[in-house]
Amino acid sequence: MELVATYGLNFAYSTATLGLIVLGLAVVFGLLGVMNMAHGEFVMLGAYSALMVQQAGLPYVLAIPLALFVCGAFGWLIEWSVIRHLYRRPFDTFLATWGIAILMRKGVEVTFGREYQSIDQSLPGTVEFFGIDYPAYRLVLMALIVALFAGLFVWYQRSNTGARIKAMVENPELAAAVGIDTARLSRATFIAGVATAGLAGVLLAPLVRVEPYMGLDYLLNSFFILVVGGLGTLEGLLTGSGIIGGADVVISAIFDKTAGYLGVLTISILFLWLRPDGIFSRR
Amino acid sequence: MSGAPLLSVENLSGGYGEIVVVNGFSLDLAGGEVACVTGRNGVGKSTLVRLVTGSLKPSSGRVVFRGRDLTAAPAHGRARQGMGYAPQEGVVFDNLTVAENLTLHHKDRSLERYGDLFTAFPRLSERLTQRAGTLSGGEKKILSFCRALAEDTVLVILDEPTEGVQPENIALMAEAIRRGKETGRAFLIVEQNLSLVEAVADAAYLLDHGECVYSTTERDGLRARLSERLQL
Repeated sequence: MELVATYGLNFAYSTATLGLIVLGLAVVFGLLGVMNMAHGEFVMLGAYSALMVQQAGLPYVLAIPLALFVCGAFGWLIEWSVIRHLYRRPFDTFLATWGIAILMRKGVEVTFGREYQSIDQSLPGTVEFFGIDYPAYRLVLMALIVALFAGLFVWYQRSNTGARIKAMVENPELAAAVGIDTARLSRATFIAGVATAGLAGVLLAPLVRVEPYMGLDYLLNSFFILVVGGLGTLEGLLTGSGIIGGADVVISAIFDKTAGYLGVLTISILFLWLRPDGIFSRR
Repeated sequence: MSGAPLLSVENLSGGYGEIVVVNGFSLDLAGGEVACVTGRNGVGKSTLVRLVTGSLKPSSGRVVFRGRDLTAAPAHGRARQGMGYAPQEGVVFDNLTVAENLTLHHKDRSLERYGDLFTAFPRLSERLTQRAGTLSGGEKKILSFCRALAEDTVLVILDEPTEGVQPENIALMAEAIRRGKETGRAFLIVEQNLSLVEAVADAAYLLDHGECVYSTTERDGLRARLSERLQL
């Protein structure tokens, strides 16, 4: 029973954290069509924001507004200088953001060094849950992610801004013709997407190694999830996170971490081959 | 026409890349007037509308609306100045509800501004929570027509509004256009249905190969004259 509870919680944790990580890419790639290869680097910027707050001796919670500001400002700069010229040219966004990702990694490496950094947990200890002792921070993190997704889902479905984003994604010419400033809305959406990646970095920083190249793993997993789940829907994002996270947890537990990676990669290839639009798709 | 026109299209030319589709089109339209542009398929009617609404950038010429030169203004800027537009294709947002289609471009979500139109087209008001993608082609056209006629538009641009619409609803559209005229709105309508043109037009323009080959403000026998020239 304890084993089932442990695997169940690990599966839930894995799904929730993967969902949080991929959320920003789902917004930027799924809605705007920008293949943001710098997505992982925005997660990394969020994690380094947490490091800066820790080094300054400030309360950890301040890392959240700092990360949102840093990622939002970088996002604005990148969108204004590069991305806005490349909308509806996905391969060009792939190349451009790949270059930006290299610059961001090298910039952080020059500023903070190449070595691993560790972030202290602001909520150490364990809590008894379903008969097992489970890390308190992980439980709080899962609750936060569920609340974030629920809030975002309601906002996207019910707000006028959510309707405008859907309209812009479906038919940008008509959206502009009815009075929606699509350039401004695209910019705001891009900034929201990369800021979400930064938020993921802050929240996950105490649980992962923080180093300039940490974003690469997140980028690959994020694309795998979108391949499996499909683009443009929250259901697809959560299902993809569940399948990729679940496969990784189960296969890694039975064999080892390398087998887990291999399993995830195999599933993604099968989906690309047999169901290229993923399980859920806006199309 | 008395006073400054609401819309002036001056020697407008444009197209797609190197291909010039509309060549030197001019038109003046005052509040309370309806101008109809007609012509065979592929002569540049929809391109003309896209040049006026800002969906396409002209290669030369000017678009002056409410006394302001909007030639370089983006489409959303023109819409915010009071230019309503119902395109020929891709007329609604399929993934949004009917109500969202009607309100997403307004600050508030009030549907009161559509009260008269809901009276004319009651099926629309019965389907407010339905996704627009589930409507029939004709119903989508009516939804697009109503959105363009929201009360804060002063110029309504309609591209083939009657395509796929049932005859009884075309008559209701003509009635709505006439009511709009009475409130001082101007209409620029691209239409091949000469019955509608005859019913509402104050001025008619015949387009061929991107150029205006005939224009008239004479209403008597308008349909016959346009029909004759279309067959030449």
